Amino acid sequence: MTSKVQDLYKVPVRREYTVVSVPEIGLLQGLGIRSGTRVALQDRYAFGGPALLSIEDTYTVALGKDVASQIAVQEAAS
Amino acid sequence: MSKSNKINPRDKVLLMGNPNVGKSVLFTEFTGIHAISSNFVGTTVTYTEGHLPIGNKEYTLIDVPGTYSLQSTSEAEAVAVSFMQSGAQAIICVLDATNLERNLVLALELQRYNIPTVYALNLTDVAERRGIKINEKLLAQELGAPVIPTVAVKRKGLDGIIGELDSLLSVTETTGSEEDECIACSKCSLCPGDTSKSTTGKPEDYPLKAKEISRRVSKKINSKPSFLDKLGDASVKPWPGIPIAFLAIALLVAVVVFGGRILRAVLLLPLVNNIIVPFFRDFFASFIPEGMLLNILTGEFGIFVISFEWIFALIFPYVLFFYIAFSFLEDSGYLPRISVLFDNVMRRLGVQGGSLIYAIMAFGCAVPAIIGSRAATSRKERLIITLAICFAIPCISQSAAVMALMAAYDWYMMPLMIAFGFFLFVVVSLIAGRFIKGRVDSLIIEVPNLLIPDARSYGRKLLIRMRHFLKDAEIPMMAAIVLAALLAETGALAVIARAAEPLVSQWLGMPREAVVALILGIVRREMSVAPLLALNLTPLQAFVGGAVSLMYIPCLSVFAILAKEFKIRIAVAVTLGTIFVALFLGGVINHVGQLFF
Repeated sequence: MTSKVQDLYKVPVRREYTVVSVPEIGLLQGLGIRSGTRVALQDRYAFGGPALLSIEDTYTVALGKDVASQIAVQEAAS
Repeated sequence: MSKSNKINPRDKVLLMGNPNVGKSVLFTEFTGIHAISSNFVGTTVTYTEGHLPIGNKEYTLIDVPGTYSLQSTSEAEAVAVSFMQSGAQAIICVLDATNLERNLVLALELQRYNIPTVYALNLTDVAERRGIKINEKLLAQELGAPVIPTVAVKRKGLDGIIGELDSLLSVTETTGSEEDECIACSKCSLCPGDTSKSTTGKPEDYPLKAKEISRRVSKKINSKPSFLDKLGDASVKPWPGIPIAFLAIALLVAVVVFGGRILRAVLLLPLVNNIIVPFFRDFFASFIPEGMLLNILTGEFGIFVISFEWIFALIFPYVLFFYIAFSFLEDSGYLPRISVLFDNVMRRLGVQGGSLIYAIMAFGCAVPAIIGSRAATSRKERLIITLAICFAIPCISQSAAVMALMAAYDWYMMPLMIAFGFFLFVVVSLIAGRFIKGRVDSLIIEVPNLLIPDARSYGRKLLIRMRHFLKDAEIPMMAAIVLAALLAETGALAVIARAAEPLVSQWLGMPREAVVALILGIVRREMSVAPLLALNLTPLQAFVGGAVSLMYIPCLSVFAILAKEFKIRIAVAVTLGTIFVALFLGGVINHVGQLFF
């Protein structure tokens, strides 16, 4: 099953995705968001607010719209 | 300030770990209250150091700023790398048991430096609650170093860490002859950064390796989330997070206002008015004849009168309750949630949600808030929030004085003043955002576990903060008070008041004597309000006085910190700008207000 690559900010909530590519920001790597990481969008705040992400089902990170939009994800193979 | 580069590496023990893993709690537990905060040379990164007795030797424990990795992608990480490179006798590396995989990446990076390490597997209680089971013996094997499960806030496992450190250090102390000769040649295996002989492989492989180790040593079974976990999740969602945030802020304000007021009315005011001030009056009157000297000491503006009336009875109770409430929010891990919830609103003002924390901090004191804003990711962001703080956010001392001033009038005066402050905050941010060049980065923030602060480290932090307040405020306050006493008693005040009459009386509509507030307000913020308390102002005059004080030059300490953190040019510009805007808008409010009252 191949699934299309999407922008993390726009995916439906509470579904698991795998990161395909991330922008070159050190803090993202540090927070464990790299290609291959499992993420689920928990919430997207109104008025262009941040994306709330659950990473590897263990911890929570919030990313501003600009950064989240630059992360490409693919639906996780289940 | 920093001495730690000069500390012999043989006396140094580094405390390292990701942010929010309980590092600071461990630090206070190990070193007690006497910690020194220093700046790392050439950077804006602050770290703390304290004494750590192990066996019969005294080591210096350094609380290295929390980092996710050693890739030098931020200033804090660069500092962590420098600490590693300057060498240490041992490392205590704190791992978050609820998030082992990511924490192991840092652990693997640290191994490259070949410094003896003890791992503190912290937050094991939270992990257990979440059904995460970690085989620490296996983890110790994988890491090739002792792993001690700890619950820092309950002081569990701390002796174990000291015990392991003791045995590690006694081994290196006896076999460390090679290190005595070490000149950081970066050729031998003892040198940091040398990966040729390391068994841990290339940094790019660490995430994968961390994942493998984490899989091998931990098991996850399904468990019911605790109330705190549920509250933690709920409080970051727009619903019910936003109502919770307003509730939390309302609670903070209520604790400060009512706590401060009760302590003041019930204990401090009677103590000052009935016991302390009469005591000094009688004491000095017993051997000093009536006249200027006696007035300077115990007259209306006497040093021994207003230092107790203003500082001890008026300011101190509010400062105390502010830090009681703020430290709780801080230690509970709640503040990042506010950043996330209001990021969209703050974006509209030209900053990101993370800056909201500095703004809240500034309600305590602008100085730590401006220092804290070093963590802002761009200069533009930092400047905008600093300006908004200087123009529109009163410190707690000033708020206390404004509240005392407004208390004599109708109930709506204080809400009106708050609304004015909000308006100012928005306008200043928007204008600053428009004119300052540069970019503002996106929010990137971890939302930590919500937890109940540990009573001991919370208490210590509160104590340290109150001591700082008393120490830092003491000299400028005394200076302001002595200045007030001298101005009043030498007649200089009357001369200045006459000269400033067009500005103070005609433009601002205040009584002539109010000029003393403008003079003293340069030294301390609350002093731009406190002298107005005794002037029997009309409601409009009180509002103008409060508004001018809000916008007026922050204080000498803020001037000093602006000059240090930015440039003297910016400190001067902020000072002149705030004075001008305060006097200009104050007059406008007065003249517009007169049309209605």
